[in-house]
Amino acid sequence: MDELLLSKIRLGVIAELLNVDWAAFSDLQQATQTTNGNLGAHLGKLVESGYVAEEKTFVNRRPQTRYRLSKMGRSAFVQHVRQMQRLLEKEGAS
Amino acid sequence: METMQPAEARDHIEMVDRILSRSERSLHVGGEFFLVWGMFSATVTLTAQLVVGRAIPTSSLWLLPVLLAGAIAFSVIRGKQLGKRKDGLSLIQREFFAVLWISMGAAMFTDVVAYQIFTTWASSAIWTVAAAVVLFFIASHGNRRALVCGIIVLVSLAAANFMPHYAGYVLSAGMLLGYAGFGLISIIARDC
Repeated sequence: MDELLLSKIRLGVIAELLNVDWAAFSDLQQATQTTNGNLGAHLGKLVESGYVAEEKTFVNRRPQTRYRLSKMGRSAFVQHVRQMQRLLEKEGAS
Repeated sequence: METMQPAEARDHIEMVDRILSRSERSLHVGGEFFLVWGMFSATVTLTAQLVVGRAIPTSSLWLLPVLLAGAIAFSVIRGKQLGKRKDGLSLIQREFFAVLWISMGAAMFTDVVAYQIFTTWASSAIWTVAAAVVLFFIASHGNRRALVCGIIVLVSLAAANFMPHYAGYVLSAGMLLGYAGFGLISIIARDC
């Protein structure tokens, strides 16, 4: 399994990004219900690993950081979910 | 290396399912597209029917290219506005717009290049079919109103087939009720 996605918050962030072009930090914070610092640390790891791209823009003259899922992140997410499903299938079979 | 317990995996998969079903269910695309194109299509067919019935002069048909240009201009401008939103378009929205433009584009292309095959009311019926495809696509994402409106559009097509003298009126009413009506309801409900 993907060690980076073993964290529920990081997995949730990737799932939130799956169906949007870009998501603002505030939107992700609202979706994941975490603190600024905690989410920032998780997003930092995802950006560092290349799973998520970060962009700093201005919206109505105010700075905004937004995030987008990369191809690598999408592929890692799909693999990870598949492996979790396999784990559950194995458990169901035993 | 960290491992995962089945209970934890189940919990994570349930969370992913919740997030995905929430984001996929919301197809916010703007009912105004349906309103504008439904009214345009209904006007084209109604005008043709009135010209055929000699209720209005043939020169009235010149109004149609003007209306078409207006509908296209509206769609391009509104589409750009939607694309510029801070969160952009979701995958499902992009998929919807692809279905919308392909269906409408194919209908328009057919009307222009195959006018000898799709004559008289057949050329209007093509728009009805394209509208039904778009509405049923939306319905497939859990929108019951789109399903009802899609059925209205298809029923108008079948009814027009058995009322050749009034086919224009029937097809026009179908587009107005089913397509433009769906747009109007969506704008009022603000869920599309």
